[in-house]
Amino acid sequence: MITNTFVHLISKNGFQNLIQNTTAQVSIETGLKAVGRPAFTLADTHVDKETRKYSAVKELLYQTLCLGIYLAVIPVTFKKGGFAIFKKLCNKLNKHPEFLKSITKTDKLPGIEKCSIDIFKNEKSLVALHNLSHLSPAKRQDKTNDLAQKLLTSIEKNTNWDLVKKEYGSKEAFIQKLLNSDRENDFFRQFFIGKGGIEMSSIVGSVVGLTLLAPELSHLILHPVMKALHMEAPKAAAENKPQNIDKQA
Amino acid sequence: MGSGNLNPILKKIAKAAYNLGDHNDPLNAVLAIAIFKGINRPLFTMMDKESDPQVKKYAAFREGLTEVVAASTYILTNKLLVNPVSKYLQKKSGGSLGKITHGVEFLGVCVSAVFLIPLACNLLLNPIMKGVAKITGKKKQTDNKLDIKENVVPELSKPQVSQQVSNLSSIKGPNSLLQVLQNKYTPYNGGNMKVGV
Repeated sequence: MITNTFVHLISKNGFQNLIQNTTAQVSIETGLKAVGRPAFTLADTHVDKETRKYSAVKELLYQTLCLGIYLAVIPVTFKKGGFAIFKKLCNKLNKHPEFLKSITKTDKLPGIEKCSIDIFKNEKSLVALHNLSHLSPAKRQDKTNDLAQKLLTSIEKNTNWDLVKKEYGSKEAFIQKLLNSDRENDFFRQFFIGKGGIEMSSIVGSVVGLTLLAPELSHLILHPVMKALHMEAPKAAAENKPQNIDKQA
Repeated sequence: MGSGNLNPILKKIAKAAYNLGDHNDPLNAVLAIAIFKGINRPLFTMMDKESDPQVKKYAAFREGLTEVVAASTYILTNKLLVNPVSKYLQKKSGGSLGKITHGVEFLGVCVSAVFLIPLACNLLLNPIMKGVAKITGKKKQTDNKLDIKENVVPELSKPQVSQQVSNLSSIKGPNSLLQVLQNKYTPYNGGNMKVGV
């Protein structure tokens, strides 16, 4: 019973879409660190109470600031940048169908020959299309399915329909493919490189944000905040234990 | 048209992007972050000019080691736990193996970040740091032996000088060298020699 509920929860389309998104993965992980690490520090009985309290508050603030700075700056910048870069790259790759075939061919599926993402005005439409592909065709066509309707609205708003008409003949033909194709179909697989490009640039953004930008900025903010909270480093610990300087991963 | 004109780096990027578009394993992002943290944080620590060099070295080494433990824990959790747990859950519930695997991969990363990495750091870091301290301590001891030899010269030279002086002063009498030198060359006792001339 518990196993079935657990499997049902982790197999839900909303959850599956969420965990395929780099920004969500990194944000959830950092959020959990912000809660879990201070709890772990407080539970450590080998250290005196004041040091534990100081370290826990500092860790909580540090992770929260990192998360805030990351969410404010990185996803928007890098997703848009990634989309723009991969639009050009996909156009270049489109001129090499043999290469595309060779990298997309599997034991079960034939390779795809095109990967252009020109029809999308921005990354939102491409991500919405990718998320829609995780739903079964029946769910996509179900007008009472909120998630499907939300994703279809996003695609409707952020797609260049003139280019769609040129490529697919008509808007309806494109919508029919969108609603009826299987995820393994060439229609969805042609956009994998574009979607992967957005995720790749999000990973680069996460690295830049969480290893260069956020630690430096949060250290500038952290000390004044700690002072404002009347939290001073315990003197004995600071003098006797240089290992307290270290922060966690 | 063949793929001959394409840059090899672009080819690799395209392949990696296709795989990421098909399935974005959470391990990719967290591993990239851990690896770059392991490089950047010790670098930043070592660049801090205000801190003591010994403390800097200690902190940088510990930071690097923490990230090595973190990256290893992420990989081990992913490689050792995800497949067996997913297959077990699929057998029990009959759900889609693909979706279960993706869910378990993500949960594995979360469990690692919150629980396994702090635990592994608590268990491994202190013994490793103590081991390293022992090794470097031994090195320091050998360095200290060299220091003692270096210090021998001033320590020995100081008493030698004082001994000579005391020996000189111990020889007393009107014709002693000290008495002659004091009588003849000290400016304060009416000697002929003038200082500064």
